[in-house]
Amino acid sequence: MEIEDIYTKLEKQVDQAAVKLSRSRITQIRFSNNIIDISNEWNEESASVFLSKNGRTFLFDLRSEKDLEGIMPRSLSALERIEKNGDFVSLNDRKNSYRKKTMNDKKLREIEGQEFVNNFIDAVKPFVRRVGGVFYKKDIEEEIRTPFNSGTQRQFGIEFVSRAFDNSDYPVQTSLATSTDADLPVLMKQEEAVLNLASKVNNIKEGKEGKYNVIFSPLCFASLVSYTIPMASAFQIDSGMSMFAGRMGEKVGSSSLTVYDDPSDDGMFNSKTFDDEGSPAKKTPVIEKGIVKNFLHNFSTSRKYKVETTGNAGIVSPNPWQISVEPGNEEIDDMTSSTRKGLFINNTWYTRFQDYREGILSTIPRDGIFYIENGEIKESWGGVRISDSLLHIYKNIEGMSRETNKVKWWDETMFTKTPFVSVADVNISRSK
Amino acid sequence: MEEFVDKALDYASKKANYAEIRFLSSSRNVVLLKNGTVSATGYSVDSGLAIRLLNNSIAFSSINVPNWERIKEEIDRAARMSERSGRNKFSSENPVRDSWEVGEKKKIEDLTFEERVSTMKELDTLLSNEKISMRIMSLGDNIEEEYNTNSEGMSLRSRLPKVSFFAMLGFMDDGSFEQGTAEAGYAGGYEALDEWKLDERLRHESGVLKRAAVAKKLHDGVYDLVAGPEISGIVAHESAGHPTESDRILGREMAQAGESFIKKNDRGRRVGSDIVSLVDDPMHEHSFGFYKFDRDGVKARKRYLYKNGLINEFLSNRESAGRMDEKSNGASRSSEWDKEPLVRMSTTFIEPRDHSFEELVENVKEGIYMKSFTEWNIDDIRFNEKYVGREAYHIQNGEIKEVIRRPVIETTTINFYSSIDAIGKDLEFSAGTCGKGDPMQGVDVWMGGPHIRLRSLNVR
Repeated sequence: MEIEDIYTKLEKQVDQAAVKLSRSRITQIRFSNNIIDISNEWNEESASVFLSKNGRTFLFDLRSEKDLEGIMPRSLSALERIEKNGDFVSLNDRKNSYRKKTMNDKKLREIEGQEFVNNFIDAVKPFVRRVGGVFYKKDIEEEIRTPFNSGTQRQFGIEFVSRAFDNSDYPVQTSLATSTDADLPVLMKQEEAVLNLASKVNNIKEGKEGKYNVIFSPLCFASLVSYTIPMASAFQIDSGMSMFAGRMGEKVGSSSLTVYDDPSDDGMFNSKTFDDEGSPAKKTPVIEKGIVKNFLHNFSTSRKYKVETTGNAGIVSPNPWQISVEPGNEEIDDMTSSTRKGLFINNTWYTRFQDYREGILSTIPRDGIFYIENGEIKESWGGVRISDSLLHIYKNIEGMSRETNKVKWWDETMFTKTPFVSVADVNISRSK
Repeated sequence: MEEFVDKALDYASKKANYAEIRFLSSSRNVVLLKNGTVSATGYSVDSGLAIRLLNNSIAFSSINVPNWERIKEEIDRAARMSERSGRNKFSSENPVRDSWEVGEKKKIEDLTFEERVSTMKELDTLLSNEKISMRIMSLGDNIEEEYNTNSEGMSLRSRLPKVSFFAMLGFMDDGSFEQGTAEAGYAGGYEALDEWKLDERLRHESGVLKRAAVAKKLHDGVYDLVAGPEISGIVAHESAGHPTESDRILGREMAQAGESFIKKNDRGRRVGSDIVSLVDDPMHEHSFGFYKFDRDGVKARKRYLYKNGLINEFLSNRESAGRMDEKSNGASRSSEWDKEPLVRMSTTFIEPRDHSFEELVENVKEGIYMKSFTEWNIDDIRFNEKYVGREAYHIQNGEIKEVIRRPVIETTTINFYSSIDAIGKDLEFSAGTCGKGDPMQGVDVWMGGPHIRLRSLNVR
């Protein structure tokens, strides 16, 4: 498909049109219990189209230019008759220029997935009972065309997740997502990372309820902020289903918490130069020193809120691109050794909210829940749950490490760069 | 792309011990309303060729570029990937040549966008009048057409229309907030709207949220529980359906959704009282997870996951059944054309028995009636679970009393099923989207059951 061909067929029939064309080649290797299960390859092309006419809007997706013939009459008919979209003002009507991405990925591109995975399995399996995981290599080209702007951007990256079960079948997990050759040494040492974590497992026990000081690993804290930052979308704020609603300028975290949506970090996969309506993508502090600083906007929501767009379109709903949590100045070893009674939690999943407004949730820690006493890991726990609120957790942040990790795991974490984070008085519950 | 299927199968069959070529097309419409505003109306056609080859390992590839040379390249690439060592055993099944479809009384294509928007606006007005200040609602449909072939002679054509509705609601009263969801799904056409009675449901849900927002929590303690069909359904799905998925049991999802407390040799192990039987049935008429043949071309059938309190059968596809030297029981599903088929549930429910609702409640001295849930989750071996009540009442001396706020049950799968001492004769289903796989595949499911009674659970 050619973007100009599609755009040309649309532009005269509507007031405004935006076309986003994506071409992707993605390779994935999944493995479990020390053997590759499947090698997946996606080689796809798709176009997303947004149309507006007389205040009415319509969206459609295309997999083939041929489909336009069938879809256009349907779209134009809908645009004549449906109710006006009260949320839509306009696509970004300024002529924008975009920064040039810094791609430093020559060596990463040379990595062959099946070979990488087999080497990893061979290196790890002598030391653990079994290991599984997933390797991704993603290469995406994206083009945008609106009445006011056009652009092209590329994304390339490798993601690697491994989950190892030690000889007592207790699991630990690691994750790395990168787009830069600078991280190649870290990528090539993933077996050390997972074995190091597995070596901490001892004295496996069912966990106990109570309030604990918790050190969240980057993987685990990434999961929390991955549920948090999308709630800063102006669409979510408008709907009311957000812990940020009505809290602009208010304190939602300790002064050490600063969280950005940062599409400008080209060392991460989801770095962007423009959004879905041609606005430049840019680094936006959502929480700065614990205070709600910005919501995430497209052009229409920015007009409504009387601010500049943050370059986060989604034309229907603004979305974050990738999250960056500002590091602190502590060493992770010091954070552990200064913990008198607490937990290190390496990962979490199945986060669900009973109250989006207050951020009241529970989430299930996994893959390394280590009970620390007098600075040393004494036990490895299972069967516990964090039952608390995001507001309480963020306000009780006491420390951040200097070290950050870049992670992405499944649907639980967005592309996120974050330090280790220590939090006081986290409520831990368990089944009875 | 469909025109390339036979040619691609011929070509791929020469490159692999087993080749599968599937064309799948999904045509979807959606209308999205946010607090009364039409935020989006849209349409999408998503289609392409999926290629699955088996040699020394399994390779899956997808392409939607209608160019024979590019398709050949993809088949060649998949063949090369499948030459590497890995797992490579599928169960042996008889190849089926057939076609099937689900009919629509009110055809999806006949409903205009204006009518869709108008239906949604009426529902939004109802909610607004009920003072539900936060409202996100979507009405969608999907017509999935498939032409599925393999090198063993399987040839299946199908047409599966579906309609779905989702609402996320929030009520605020003097700083006290309650949220809830309403979801419906149906295989068929827009006659679904007549079946669902959404106005009644949303009016009821509005009342639930308003009453819950001003209700008080019950004291922590030990209570009997009467759980409604929505609770039976989520429990059936989470702690019977998921742990009996054989790919989980074999570790295939170990780095994503996890594994299972059930091990490969656990069939016959007790997990509940002997009146408890759990079923997964893809053939339940008009169910959201309906299919007649699965993605591997295996005929769908009803499966007893737990029978009389004992683990009975695992859900399987050809890959997992092959690893266990068994026949597949037809649980292979994929959410889109470009995703590998995995072991999935369809309609999962606790089998009804003999009690009326009144009989379940009448000899409860101190208990709660939990009719629906809000927050819930379960661990990655499907053993430790939590359900927070949305619509819930205190029961005292056999009578349903006041509304209670967000009662919390945090228990284990075996404790839950072992505590069941009576099961109702009613049966209701609710719709949901079940997530699994990497990349994530959300598939349509129903879950349900009757009212059930459990004795002596810890409630917070």
